[in-house]
Amino acid sequence: MSEGVSPSPGGTRPGFSVHTHNLIGGLIVTVLALLMLGYAFFVPNTVIPRFMLAALAVIGIATAVGLVPVHGPRDFYGGIVLVMLPTVALIASAELPGQRGFAFGPGTAPRLFSFVLAALGAAVAIGGVFAEGPPIEKYKIRGPSLVIIAILSFAAMIRPLGLVPATFLAFMISILGSSEMRWIESTIAGALMTLFCVLLFVYLLNLPFQLWPRFY
Amino acid sequence: MSDLLANLWLGFQVAANPFNILFCLLGALVGTLVGVLPGIGSVATIAMLLPITFGLPPVGALIMLAGIYYGAQYGGSTTSVLVNIPGEATSVITCLDGHQMARQGRAGPALSIAAIGSFFAGCVATVLVAALGQPLTSLALLFGPAEYFSLMVLGLIFAVVLAKGSVLKAVAMVLTGLLLSMVGSDLETGAGRMTFDIAELADGIGFANIAMGVFGFAEIIRNLELPPESRDILKTKITNLMPSRQDLIDSAGAIARGTALGSLVGILPGGGAVIASFAAYTFEKKIAKDPSRFGRGAIQGVAAPESANNAAAQTSFIPLLTLGIPPNAVMALMVGAMTIHGIVPGPQVMTKQPELFWGMIASMWIGNLMLVVINLPLVGVWVSLLRVPYRLLYPSIIVFCCIGIYSINNSPTDVSIAAIFGVVGYWLVKHDFEPAPLLLGFVLGPLMEENLRRAMLIARGDVTVFFTRPISAVLLSTAIILLILAGLPKIRRRRDEVFVE
Repeated sequence: MSEGVSPSPGGTRPGFSVHTHNLIGGLIVTVLALLMLGYAFFVPNTVIPRFMLAALAVIGIATAVGLVPVHGPRDFYGGIVLVMLPTVALIASAELPGQRGFAFGPGTAPRLFSFVLAALGAAVAIGGVFAEGPPIEKYKIRGPSLVIIAILSFAAMIRPLGLVPATFLAFMISILGSSEMRWIESTIAGALMTLFCVLLFVYLLNLPFQLWPRFY
Repeated sequence: MSDLLANLWLGFQVAANPFNILFCLLGALVGTLVGVLPGIGSVATIAMLLPITFGLPPVGALIMLAGIYYGAQYGGSTTSVLVNIPGEATSVITCLDGHQMARQGRAGPALSIAAIGSFFAGCVATVLVAALGQPLTSLALLFGPAEYFSLMVLGLIFAVVLAKGSVLKAVAMVLTGLLLSMVGSDLETGAGRMTFDIAELADGIGFANIAMGVFGFAEIIRNLELPPESRDILKTKITNLMPSRQDLIDSAGAIARGTALGSLVGILPGGGAVIASFAAYTFEKKIAKDPSRFGRGAIQGVAAPESANNAAAQTSFIPLLTLGIPPNAVMALMVGAMTIHGIVPGPQVMTKQPELFWGMIASMWIGNLMLVVINLPLVGVWVSLLRVPYRLLYPSIIVFCCIGIYSINNSPTDVSIAAIFGVVGYWLVKHDFEPAPLLLGFVLGPLMEENLRRAMLIARGDVTVFFTRPISAVLLSTAIILLILAGLPKIRRRRDEVFVE
């Protein structure tokens, strides 16, 4: 998967580009860590996650100002996120009872696995500091966000509007994500796909869908 | 032996039920239909089509899913031959010689040899699955919770070591999956865990939502980034489907060797089918009298990898059906489907639901037969499908997935969760994390936790139980040795070479 890396913007001036990336990346890490830290203060029993988040915030700042010589940014930021995730899990499972005698409580396994994952995440991140690795691929905004918006709007529309409008509109929104979209062709394709889905799911698979908006 | 025959007989009785044949046929057709589309691998195909099987009875649903799997595999090779874009990872290698053959006007023989090879491999592998099922199952029935836990650890480590990418990151993904699987009600106390008081999360994160998000949506988003590919679909009509007598003679040996290699590699967890097809191709090239023919349309270069990947695809059912351990992402999807139907995969399936177990095995053979029967005449349809441009394809897939997820529980929240996992999957790819181990961890999570808790309870909180019970100790130390081996610089380099594609 590491092949076909698109060169980062400003790839001709590697020093500069690495610097800005780390400024942005470090700041994101810091902000996320501080937000979660703020949340953790409202949850009892979260001393360890609080320390972990504080450490992450410090690491974020250090990265942003260039104190951390990140050689493999993909692994570094990937690892950081894999430390953040179990930290959230630790906060979320803080109030669950733990070990009672010989028996695991509901909170034991989540905490156990969280600590192991955090350790692995830290190892990945440390590897990212020292081992040379490819730069982070540029994130595209238009395609992915329109696809996600289409899915979310389907979720929002299916109950109030019914299957037909939700399917058609989701189709039209997601097709906007393509750079080669043509209106007439897309509308026809959208209508055909909607028809196909109605036939398949409602008539063939007999699923209880509401097709059109319900007027009370 | 007579036992085996009796069991297979039972299986064929189940599979030959007209409805089950219909499900098998439908699955193979739909699987091929989606598998043909380039850029959508077999995992994404199965994830997409999971919801339409949920309304069926369990046996029918699993038979259909198995059909979808073979169909997707076979569809992938059709794309490889005709467009030179692998429909999926297992048919990457088929592109080399298959497309060359197509260019020389021999697309028909290439496709039919692929089908015949797959069918032969499927027949052998079906018998193998049936033969190995019983002994492995009786072994697994001796296992207590400690052994089971260790076995799952070993299975996961195997899958991680034999897949591509960094082992450390893959293990981290497994743990992420385990952690995600713990969201929701606790198995024993019913306490809500990590739900953030969101009512929809009380039942846990739906398996289909994760699969669809991480594999379906993320793959589409990812494909959107690539520049519009230039597909040079063959303009010439495929006239002559049947391979000549010479073709059959040439490829017979390759098919046999590919099948043997594939069956062997497929049992191992990890990227079984992918490794199998690569290994078979390399092997054929090595023993060929004139290796320079490979890459220029040698029929052996199509026959061997196609037989191997089909054999491997089939034998990878062995660990799932006998031990309940999914060796790869596709099998993880099967576990998810089984769980939704209330079947806990594992050795008890064979003893408690013999008609399901043997019916599925028999339907594998029927599914393979159908691929040969239906797909060759339908090649024209698949070709015209390849002409649909991606800009129209991906919105169709998205709405199809949306309706599919919604139909499982009639829950709009599920659709939103899948969207979130789509973003997660996109992010994972950007940071070189493989999503397959995450799904494996997620699927095995509840079983692992349950066995861990039981083992600890029985051992009165003594952690050393995993090393004092002999079977468990052997399993765990194998896992540790594997991890150490994978970490050694020399072997790591070799491993990277294998997966360099």
